[in-house]
Amino acid sequence: MIEIKNLSKNYQDKIAVDNLSFDIMPGVVTGFLGPNGAGKSTTMKMILNLARPSNGEVRIDGKHYIDLEQPVSKIGALIDADAVNPKLTAEQHLQLIAAASEISSTRVDEMLQKAGLEKVRNKQIREYSLGMKQRLGIAAALLGKPETVILDEPFNGLDVDGIKWLRNLTKDLARAGKAVLISSHLMSEIQTIAERVIVLAQGKLIADMTIEEMSKKSFSSYLRVRSENNIKLQGLLRNKGAFIQQMEQNCLIVRNLEMEEVGTAAKESSLAIFELTKVQPSLEQLFTELTDGKVDYVSQQNMNTKKG
Amino acid sequence: MIIKLKKVSFKNLIKAEYQKIMFLKFSKTFLGILMLTSLAMGLIFSITTNVTQGKSIAEMAPNDIISASMLGIDVAAIMLIIFTAISISNEFSTKLIHVSLAVTPNRKRFYFSKFLTYCLLAGVISLLVTFATFFAGQLVLVANGIPMASLKDNSLVQLIIGSAVMPVFYCLLTVAATFIFRSSEGGIIFSLVIMFIPALIKMFSKDIQRLILPILPQSSLHSLSGIVSENSYELLGNGASIFLLLLWIGITSAIGIFQLVRKDV
Repeated sequence: MIEIKNLSKNYQDKIAVDNLSFDIMPGVVTGFLGPNGAGKSTTMKMILNLARPSNGEVRIDGKHYIDLEQPVSKIGALIDADAVNPKLTAEQHLQLIAAASEISSTRVDEMLQKAGLEKVRNKQIREYSLGMKQRLGIAAALLGKPETVILDEPFNGLDVDGIKWLRNLTKDLARAGKAVLISSHLMSEIQTIAERVIVLAQGKLIADMTIEEMSKKSFSSYLRVRSENNIKLQGLLRNKGAFIQQMEQNCLIVRNLEMEEVGTAAKESSLAIFELTKVQPSLEQLFTELTDGKVDYVSQQNMNTKKG
Repeated sequence: MIIKLKKVSFKNLIKAEYQKIMFLKFSKTFLGILMLTSLAMGLIFSITTNVTQGKSIAEMAPNDIISASMLGIDVAAIMLIIFTAISISNEFSTKLIHVSLAVTPNRKRFYFSKFLTYCLLAGVISLLVTFATFFAGQLVLVANGIPMASLKDNSLVQLIIGSAVMPVFYCLLTVAATFIFRSSEGGIIFSLVIMFIPALIKMFSKDIQRLILPILPQSSLHSLSGIVSENSYELLGNGASIFLLLLWIGITSAIGIFQLVRKDV
């Protein structure tokens, strides 16, 4: 397990990470979300001891990363797909890591095959597309059969086949009991694979919960209800603690109650229900809701949309 | 069953560092050119003594011809400085350092694995160049009908051993300097300045020469090679020479390690 406690990183002109505390649990895919500049990559670098924390600490099974005997068997990470010598081949790049970690060359062959790079193993990395470099980075991350896998924007540059491959891979890793921390701006993908999300904004922890919990707490999650007598139903539901908003087209927007409770209340009063729909926000909508006003870099178009 | 993980051995770290160097076509090409250039320059120095020293080959002692030929080692040292700085700085410029330090997070261990790798590599290259230039010098003597220099001559043996130390020393100095400055330019300039600054100091007053020359690495290297005259300010004993060279390497490496440990990548 990876424990992050009160982690902070200060630079001269800004606080990149501000008092962050969370755990990365095994057997779970955790989405690591945040706008650009939120501190995700900096946090990942601090986990790997590539950046020194200004405050706080990271422990991997109770130890600091620097004290691990075989780090690659504890954490496999893809932080930057361009962190390669472009004049090396994929095979040579993996062999360097294997040699430094006492990993056999058969494992190198295995990972090249698994990443779909078997046919280009002897091609120089400078001839690779971004997607191919991402695959190589993932292969390198998994070389040591790590217990925890950390992937920073792994979907970048991947084609449809690659995205499908990575989606299945992350799910397989979690099923195998590994902890997976994955950051991405592709909310749709994170929504598909992650059970839990950690959201950062301006260096601070905004949320650390399952997607379901986030959805329940969200203002964008509600029930659309139409019945034969909305006014009567409204009163019944308010008595049960619901927050009601009347919409046009004879529709009630109900919050704070489950579908079953609404249905039961209507049945008890012999009211016919014409529509009972649960509206779930997408992860993108949840994310936008959580990080509204906490984004450092906003495009002019989005700013005009907000003002409009 | 609890599997106790053991630390990766230095042997494996050195293997990885060696592969980082030798996987690249540039390295093999450059090192090949280094050896050929050193040999060629040594030959040129030994056959052009009438120009460089105002004496023909026949007028010179065999050991002096060998000494001229072994100036090729100086060329090897300069090229090794350039090679070392480029190879190490490459790791920073390509960001491969992220992967390297993720695999070997103990940065002192990482530094020493590089240090030892370049020490071994420089040692092998130095030995090859030393023997090549020595035998080239012998060939020049034979070609001119002069008896070969004898290895029974202790001063010749001292010259060979002392000369072989130079490329290794400057290579290790460059390892440290490249980590300090995190650039090939910094590594190269630092080592070349240390190499050539004695020539500049010799333009100053005797008092300044007496003060500064003995602490510069050139004095140690020249003293170990036995090419320093009795009344020179560069003259040091073998023990003092070795100590001074180790001190230079020790201090620069300590600063290099400090920079590596202290700075984020």
